[in-house]
Amino acid sequence: MTALMQRPPVRVSDAAPPVSRPNPLPHLAMLAWAVVTALPLIWAVMSSLKTDEEILNHPWSPPASPQFENWARAWTTASIGRYFFNSLIVVGGALLLTMLLGSLVAYAVARYQFRGNRLVYYTFVAAMFFPVFLALVPLFFVVRQLGLLGTYPGLILVYTAYAVPFTVFFLHSFFRTLPTEVAEAAFLDGCSHGAVFFRVMLPLARPGLVAVGVFNFLGLWNQYLLPLVLNPDPDRYVLAQGLAALSVSQGYDSDWSGLFAGLTIAMLPVLVAYVAFQRHIRAGMTAGAVR
Amino acid sequence: MKHGRWRFLLAALVPALVLHVVFVLSPYAQAFYLSLTDWTGVAGEAHFVGTDNFARLGGDSLFLDAVRNNAVMLVVVPVVTIAIALFLASMLNGRRPVRGASAYQIVYFFPQMLSLVIIGVLWAFVYSPNNGLLNSGLRAAGLSSLTQSWLGEPSWALIAVMAVVIWSSVGFYVVLFSAAIDGIPRELFEAATLDGAGRWATFRGVTLPLVRESVQVAFVYLGIVALDGFVLVQVMTVGPGGPDGATEVVGLSLYRTAFTYGKFGYATAMGVALFFATLTLAVFALRWGRRNQVEMA
Amino acid sequence: MNPENPHRPYPTRRSLLKTAGAAAAGVPLLAACVTNSGDGDEPADTGGAKSTENPLGVRADAPLEVVVFKGGYGDEYAIKAEAKYTEKYPQAKIDHKGLQKVGEAMQPRFVAGNPPDVVDNTGAGRLDMATLVSAKQVTDLAELLDAPAFDQPGKKVRDTLLPGVVDDGTFGGSPVALNFTYTVWGVWYSKSLFAERGWIYPTTWADMLALCETIKKAGIAPWTYQGKYPEYINDPLLTMAAKAGGLDLVKAVDNLQPDAWKQPGLTQAAEAFAELAGKGYLMSGSEALSHTEAQAAWCQKKAAFIPCGSWLESEQKDVTPAGFDMVLGTVPALPAAKMPVTAVQAASSESYLVPAKAKNVAGGQEYLRILFSLASAKDFAQANSTLPAVAGATEGLTLSSGLGSVRDAVTAAGPDAFNYRFRTWYAPLAKAIDDATGELVNRRISVADWSTRIQKASDALAKDSTVVKYTR
Repeated sequence: MTALMQRPPVRVSDAAPPVSRPNPLPHLAMLAWAVVTALPLIWAVMSSLKTDEEILNHPWSPPASPQFENWARAWTTASIGRYFFNSLIVVGGALLLTMLLGSLVAYAVARYQFRGNRLVYYTFVAAMFFPVFLALVPLFFVVRQLGLLGTYPGLILVYTAYAVPFTVFFLHSFFRTLPTEVAEAAFLDGCSHGAVFFRVMLPLARPGLVAVGVFNFLGLWNQYLLPLVLNPDPDRYVLAQGLAALSVSQGYDSDWSGLFAGLTIAMLPVLVAYVAFQRHIRAGMTAGAVR
Repeated sequence: MKHGRWRFLLAALVPALVLHVVFVLSPYAQAFYLSLTDWTGVAGEAHFVGTDNFARLGGDSLFLDAVRNNAVMLVVVPVVTIAIALFLASMLNGRRPVRGASAYQIVYFFPQMLSLVIIGVLWAFVYSPNNGLLNSGLRAAGLSSLTQSWLGEPSWALIAVMAVVIWSSVGFYVVLFSAAIDGIPRELFEAATLDGAGRWATFRGVTLPLVRESVQVAFVYLGIVALDGFVLVQVMTVGPGGPDGATEVVGLSLYRTAFTYGKFGYATAMGVALFFATLTLAVFALRWGRRNQVEMA
Repeated sequence: MNPENPHRPYPTRRSLLKTAGAAAAGVPLLAACVTNSGDGDEPADTGGAKSTENPLGVRADAPLEVVVFKGGYGDEYAIKAEAKYTEKYPQAKIDHKGLQKVGEAMQPRFVAGNPPDVVDNTGAGRLDMATLVSAKQVTDLAELLDAPAFDQPGKKVRDTLLPGVVDDGTFGGSPVALNFTYTVWGVWYSKSLFAERGWIYPTTWADMLALCETIKKAGIAPWTYQGKYPEYINDPLLTMAAKAGGLDLVKAVDNLQPDAWKQPGLTQAAEAFAELAGKGYLMSGSEALSHTEAQAAWCQKKAAFIPCGSWLESEQKDVTPAGFDMVLGTVPALPAAKMPVTAVQAASSESYLVPAKAKNVAGGQEYLRILFSLASAKDFAQANSTLPAVAGATEGLTLSSGLGSVRDAVTAAGPDAFNYRFRTWYAPLAKAIDDATGELVNRRISVADWSTRIQKASDALAKDSTVVKYTR
């Protein structure tokens, strides 16, 4: 695994110039997979603008007239708006805390020699190899005992606790590769340890922070198992939970167009952000995988 | 300075360590103990039952269904995903790059961005027997005989779930493999072309050996995905986990046993079993990798 | 999205309606603490002298604290009953709380020994009744049940309730909870569609099969069901079995008796549904439809019958075409049934209880006497289009087609309302039964396999010493 860590960050290739004598087969294959990938997503967006009747009877046809009120209804009546903000609060809080704690630990372990250094490092890293399902039941009771069940702080702390190990792992190698001279110069200038970290090392580590930040954001935003167990209050459902609840226990009111609109609302920001930052995101996530 | 150093180290490490111990390490540690008890969630009433829970797992037909399904997924999902991803990546980045390759990468990667819940809800509609995207598409194409009750037929349900896992994973590995292939010096491809090697020969002779490391990583990651499967199964399938256990996975059994039946000790034993399965997988993957490295050296 | 009943637990969407207070989440929230709380404190002064006017001995000036689950039904109906209480006891100060998370808010108060006087223990995360009972935290309501009804002279409270309500709130032999709403299961159809085609809802299974043939010939699927949740098709099957074998059959099943699932009533009912599937009377694809999909197909008249509980009408209200006029029919009977065809499967929910350590136990019970009065129940029925657990509460009201049919079914059933308890007592058995029935109606297993399989699951449970057993 260590050998893998030293891989250079992934470079995503640009489109190469076209070559003569094109063979249609690769293009067809790629087009086919692109259609397979995109079709369900486009279909969901299209369905979100249809009436229930159209969805049920004409699944392939576009809407006769786009029903934008589906989106408004999903946002308010189906509480997608509330779930969205719950997600924002929980993921935002957890992301900040994860990045702060994770980079602190990674930095301390990477740049300071002290007794127990390795122990601390492996304590965190080992946790990455345990399935969350193993911890699920005791975790539920730990959180309940602390009175944090179904609260924002509870979710934020648990999300953070489960995101820190990878962050430490990833940033540890990053901090190791940073040059020592700048930090030493800063110490000579009389900077405290904390100031060196926040003013000098963190800015230097920015590319690594962005990569792991993107990775953590997606992981936390899409988290479902932890909130399912630890966040039973429908008022505090996060987006993934809310959507699952809408589709599985839609309750007393059948509303397909609303559900598709909810799906679209949940997908669109992520997809827009992806298209805007796709290079960084793909680089960050694949670099994260090759750890 | 020395004093400040310790203060900084404490401030840097202690909060994260406390969180880690309370929410990560202690639950993991408790799990091993709880799996040996009959705990039902009532404080102070956990009786030590030794390995009874594990013995019981062997006779729990639903759990055995789950193990079987996870095992099938463990074989099928990585192999198929990696095959498709390698194929597409080598097409995109092979010796003769394709126009629009990066646009394709963008599209392929889309599903990776989405929560599995969204993917599950979406595909439940795709598979819906009467007005789902798939069956109505088949009907429109004159292929009515191919329509299935995808999630309602025991023989199809697990395949349908695995197809979604593969659908959502391929893009990520296309990008991963593309990056690896991209790192192969172009001269190697040119040399192969000069030698008169065809596409397939180039792939086997040049591409595959040089992306082996990435493929190995992909196997480990997809193996972990295949041992899970909880979210898609819970959102999409009949029951969930059905019909009649056809799509049951260990995670779902564990969740139901704990949070619906309240048998926490027994559920934790399932978690411990899952842990050892994951551990075995990791050990095998590492061994396999090491052996290959030796062979290559 | 979910205006009627947002407290429906997720993901076992229907379990709440079936439970009479048992914990759906399976997590006895109180357990950790109740057993440790001091046992010494006796309930505070229960106050005043008893009389015909004041049968429970309420102290007129004792304050009363009422905690109500404020879910799909709101808490207006509870506030109205409080107003009546103050009318009778003007000196009593009432503290009302309408909460969404009753369990979360009440747990610490039970533990601390200062619970309110009335608790509506409903909604996700509610307190586990079995735990409360074993910790002696709830008042035995027998005295209330035997007190004269509030506004029906000559009747005891007990006699004003619909059949099964007292049983649903009985734990370990004593009545400790009163459920306020009532759910009935049956087979639904569109009255207008049937009138238009000249179809008549059958009372025997033979007639049902004959009608199905006619319906099929008319180009409509006779039945659909919510295949993603096989328990829906289980309900009419088990109802039919109960009618065939009587209450003894139901009790044998609930008591996990050996060979309970080999009883002829059950195998005949399974045979009947296997035949329904075998003759192609189930809409194709039903086995993979979610409840909303199946119900929508039914509302679009793609299928004639669908099994469901009495919540169906409100669940479908946005997608039901005008003039559809859905009605609930009782499950047709097999020949030589022990119960009349009018018998229904029914259960109550929305559990009210009086904590044992409440400061005003008598007042709490008096409040329930008022809440369960005819006038109060009538208000509730009118406001919520839901049947309350008080008999006759919908008399004189203009009801929607669905609710009207539910009321008629309850009236026609009279005392013949029954309910299986295994679903709340033994969730793993319920899953085994649902799975088996799903296989049965998709013709993947035979009736013999069906009964053997379920019997095996039942026997295994009976032998399992780690499972707490109940009997009825």
